[in-house]
Amino acid sequence: MTAGAVRRALRDVALVGAVAWLIVLVCFVRERNRAAAAAGISHARAAAVAIGAGERPASAVAAAGLVSAATPSKAYPLLRRRTVDDGAGVRALGGPTAPAVDKLLYDAAARFDRTGAFATVLADGSGRAVAAMTTPRGLAIAVTAHPEPLARLPWLALFGMAGLTFALAGLGATVGRDRGRALGIAVAIAVAAIPAAWWGGPIATALVLALALGAAVAHHRGATDRALAIVRSHRIALTFLAPAGLAMLVLVVIPFTVGLALGFYDHHHGRWTFVGLANFKRILTGDGHALSDPLNFWFILGVTLLWTFANVLLHVGLGTAFALVLKQPWLKARGMWRALLIVPWAVPNYITALIWKGMFDAEYGAINELLRGLGVDRVSWFSQWSTSFTANVTTNTWLGFPFMMVVALGALESIPKELEEAADVDGATAWQRFREITLPHLKPALGPAIVLGSIWTFNMFNVIALVSAGKPRGSTDILVTDAYRWAFERGEQYGMAAAMGTIIFLLLLAWSILGRSLTRGDEEARP
Amino acid sequence: MSARRPHAAVTLAVHAVLAIATLAVLYPVMLVVKKAFEPGTTLSPSPSPVPTEVTLDHFRDLLTTRGSHGELAFLHHALASVIVALATTAVGIGLSCTAAYALSRFRFPGRRTALGGFLVVQMFPASLLMIPLYVLLHALGLLNSLTGLVLVYATTSIPFCVWTLKGYFDSLPRELFEAARVDGAGPLRIFWSIVLPLARPGIAVTALFAFMTAWNEYILATTFLTDESKYTLPVMLKASVGEFSADYGQFAAGAIVTSLPVMALFYVLQKYLVGGLTAGAVKG
Repeated sequence: MTAGAVRRALRDVALVGAVAWLIVLVCFVRERNRAAAAAGISHARAAAVAIGAGERPASAVAAAGLVSAATPSKAYPLLRRRTVDDGAGVRALGGPTAPAVDKLLYDAAARFDRTGAFATVLADGSGRAVAAMTTPRGLAIAVTAHPEPLARLPWLALFGMAGLTFALAGLGATVGRDRGRALGIAVAIAVAAIPAAWWGGPIATALVLALALGAAVAHHRGATDRALAIVRSHRIALTFLAPAGLAMLVLVVIPFTVGLALGFYDHHHGRWTFVGLANFKRILTGDGHALSDPLNFWFILGVTLLWTFANVLLHVGLGTAFALVLKQPWLKARGMWRALLIVPWAVPNYITALIWKGMFDAEYGAINELLRGLGVDRVSWFSQWSTSFTANVTTNTWLGFPFMMVVALGALESIPKELEEAADVDGATAWQRFREITLPHLKPALGPAIVLGSIWTFNMFNVIALVSAGKPRGSTDILVTDAYRWAFERGEQYGMAAAMGTIIFLLLLAWSILGRSLTRGDEEARP
Repeated sequence: MSARRPHAAVTLAVHAVLAIATLAVLYPVMLVVKKAFEPGTTLSPSPSPVPTEVTLDHFRDLLTTRGSHGELAFLHHALASVIVALATTAVGIGLSCTAAYALSRFRFPGRRTALGGFLVVQMFPASLLMIPLYVLLHALGLLNSLTGLVLVYATTSIPFCVWTLKGYFDSLPRELFEAARVDGAGPLRIFWSIVLPLARPGIAVTALFAFMTAWNEYILATTFLTDESKYTLPVMLKASVGEFSADYGQFAAGAIVTSLPVMALFYVLQKYLVGGLTAGAVKG
């Protein structure tokens, strides 16, 4: 009895304690990196001061020197040149034979001109630091040669503390009764709060203490026993699920959560700053652009909704029309027509997009040639919104209607023969048959297909990006392509892109819940 | 719509309209085929889908053009695509099979949540995860590497594979498992010696879909791969018709060579595809 109780108490301490010590480890790594960065910065500063005083830097530097102000080049006025005095004499900074570190000096000088004196760790991930400051001899810049050595993890202290943890828990479990055990668990895990407070901050400490309290309460109420019993009795199923579950966790759930979190940060030159809801506010208030401006969020949302609606309408309309024709029993070579009509679905969609981009080419495009045959003047498709949008919709309609056609065809083939014969005998008109027989069979199949198709279209990145590429002036962009631009075309504003992603996610979530309840309603209404 | 045959004139008219509509639908494809066999690198000045002169030059150039390192460019990128698609299929199917088996054969707390989770992830496309994945791959040093691309493709293919495979596993008769269990086979043995061999057709179909998806993916590849020598075929084809220099002849030939295998696959598989896609939406 007691042995079992001790074992259970130690087990809970081990499980929750592992999480607590993981927090401690993260705190340590952060603190260690911070200390190394601070050491690097102070070395870079000291080196810059030494250069300014005309001395040799005390620590190793990758590059250091007095950098001149920028002067426009004579031949190319847009090109600004600087010189550097690196102790061995004055020479031009940069150029074909210059060492690669010259780039670091030049960038630091440019940054100094913008922001004044600074000292920081380089954003290239090398761990080196750079400092720039005004000295009596001019602008002195130094880049350290190596990253600072990182402090080692104090294994001995950690092992000692872990031992103390188990000793405390064991003591609580053997000496105390119910409450004593819980107290032992709480205290044992709370030991980790000491290093957490030492290396981390109040948040880490509070987190560890909350874990300790939670573990004690859960143990006292038997919640951990029950949870473990569930895991144990479904051991096999969970083992089979684990590999895929782990992969999804690492590459879908975590990125997704990170993506949601990034929306609250601002990203600038590799540096993340928490900005709260500022990104969302910036997006939802149109970022200072008028409502009629293609960069305003509401304008893009409007285009996206119009795009989705127009496409789905055309997909369903064309798809159903073709399906109704293909379904006729007297039609010759039905298999052949069907096989030919789903060709657009089989072609990879980026190829489709590139083909249509060529066809809409103003100069050599086939569409303009065909129009000329009809006596219409050459159209420059991507220079105005209406034609550019039309080009996108045409492309996407072409690649999207076969899916709806196949779904509709499947639904039509499920109509029982007797039903049609009965309608025939009763002398129903074509319209009556369509309304009373065909439509009720089409609806339940097309409903989910429309929800699915609208989500695909809403996210149809390739067509927009490859056909119109947002032209003119981003006015034909949809939400997903605009989010992409925030990340990769507007100076790596990952925070804004992530906030945009969150908004897109919420819109899709709302739509899929609404869509599912709508289609489910259809199914229930079916006789 | 009925057993009655409409007037012969009506059926003739319907056939004629259908033929014209089908020709219109196939027109873009015919233009590509025409360009591939027609000499010249610019788009053709005539809208006719029939080439005036036939040549195999574009295909020959495509297969013999060398890249900046002296490698045969098209074959080099094709090899990258093949490796990525095969590795994606292997990893994706390997992980999905066990998960689908667990979800099909066992009842455990969280099963419905897991199924629903796979479904939701399947509906929200990779473009949403792109920025965090970019940041993550950057942190792991896997940007600009085929390994990173395979990891991302495989994981994004898991939800679809799990749902499809679960459907196949559900259709296997339960008695078989009972019999095997009575005979003393453990769960791993049942999975390996009974489920996998019996579900082989289903696994093959799912694997081909995973292959097709990886083969056709453009946007993640173009974002994550910055080094031209690592481009997969879609990125390379897009680069061949750039803003400033475009060789439409080679593009058309490349597009045909790249699409034909997956189009053939598509025709073999399309009857499974519709069921799989809408099943998820209906059952969810």
